[in-house]
Amino acid sequence: MQAIAINNLRKEYKDTVAVKGLDLEIEEGELFSLLGVNGAGKTTTIKMLATLTKPTSGNAFISGYSILKDKEKIKEIVDISMQETAVARNLTVDENVEFYGALSGQTKEEIEKTKQYLYNAFGLSAVRNKQAAKLSGGWQRKLSIALALVSKPKILFLDEPTLGLDVIARRELWKTIKELKKDMTIILTTHYMEEAEALSDRIGIMKDGKLLFIGKKEELFEKTGKNDVENAFIEIVGGGEQDE
Amino acid sequence: MNSSLYRILTLTKRNLKETIRDRLSLVFTILMPLLMEILFYLLFHGLTSQFEMKYLAPGIVVFSQSFVALFVGILIAVDRGTSFLKRLYVSKAKPYEFIFGYALSILPIILVQSILFFLIGVIFDGSIFGASMFLAILLSLFTSLFFIAMGLLIGSLCTEKSIGGASTVVIVGQSVLSGMWFPIEGLNGVIISIMNVLPFRNATLLLENVLNGINDSYKDFLLPFLIVLCYTVVSFVFAILAFRKKMNAD
Repeated sequence: MQAIAINNLRKEYKDTVAVKGLDLEIEEGELFSLLGVNGAGKTTTIKMLATLTKPTSGNAFISGYSILKDKEKIKEIVDISMQETAVARNLTVDENVEFYGALSGQTKEEIEKTKQYLYNAFGLSAVRNKQAAKLSGGWQRKLSIALALVSKPKILFLDEPTLGLDVIARRELWKTIKELKKDMTIILTTHYMEEAEALSDRIGIMKDGKLLFIGKKEELFEKTGKNDVENAFIEIVGGGEQDE
Repeated sequence: MNSSLYRILTLTKRNLKETIRDRLSLVFTILMPLLMEILFYLLFHGLTSQFEMKYLAPGIVVFSQSFVALFVGILIAVDRGTSFLKRLYVSKAKPYEFIFGYALSILPIILVQSILFFLIGVIFDGSIFGASMFLAILLSLFTSLFFIAMGLLIGSLCTEKSIGGASTVVIVGQSVLSGMWFPIEGLNGVIISIMNVLPFRNATLLLENVLNGINDSYKDFLLPFLIVLCYTVVSFVFAILAFRKKMNAD
């Protein structure tokens, strides 16, 4: 069953067209990675899908709900982890989870269960009583992503989740994302090619607001004649000019 | 409990914790005005009537509320700047629930300010203690709404970097145009007229008059009350519009 169906989605700003008529379908339980250089339109795309930004034209359906007409329904089934770490800085880890849980309408008992699940998945127990502002960048990032799961979304948008993390923290987060994949559809944007290669069921490559490629990594390798995502990406985006 | 009310209270609780755990906000909203109240009384109370406690205490209460505008604004601007608000937009919370969450979180701080500054006033001048003082404390919650609305407006429009400058307008407005720090009798008539139609002097007068006794209920209470109310309503409307606009644009 389709989790997301995008029909000719377009977003224009004053001086620029960020997304130019996107068409895409993503299946339930799939982990789909959107790759692209800065300004390719990845973040704008997931902001439109998460109902944070209104498209200029076109439509998209999230579990059958239109992003134009059914925003409230969509909010019940999606969540997003933004590119920037977004936590309540003066609240402890526990209080952050309680805050998000209460905001998504959970009871105290449900929030306790959510805490158990998240602390196991992200190893946050060790820092549960620390204020978010006093955590290291890596822990803050983990918390920020964990908070996107508090509402138990069916579809999760991760906008550059490992940006700024060291290699160890990044690999740990990959493990967590692989686990999450079992329970939900994930749409991930990233600049790290090895991340897309390690995690994705399918990859989409964007440039200047257009999708230049959609498919499995094997198809990407076949199309470009390369044997890793980074070189295949350069081949697609750079038209082969920047090859090795 | 109604789910909307529950979300408002959840947001209120979070915002209150964020504010009171920021030591700088406590210094500016509580400690600094408290020291000013004590020092100005001790240094100047025999010189001009402004520094008699029956005028100084209500003046300090309203003055400290102008700093609240700054901290409401900072909280919103930081939430916007860090994408914290943006991710909350994916929750079920509505724009008005966010606004109420910010506004209500400040009222306990306002109440603490008022009680503290009036009780300190009582230590120096016991004559201000009485039913009218408690009425003035209650009314200070009303005058604070104007400053809270200004904070919401500034926080919705400014970035974290520019908010200091914008908030200074409110703080300076309260300092200069309220008449709390100097006698206004010698001022130019035009300036006095301007002061009389702005909310700063009227908010201060309202508390002063309630504390010290109302002789003319229209002139001493109703008129300043209505002027402050008008500015509060208009400021809230603009704040909600600005917040909604930024909610879609950030």
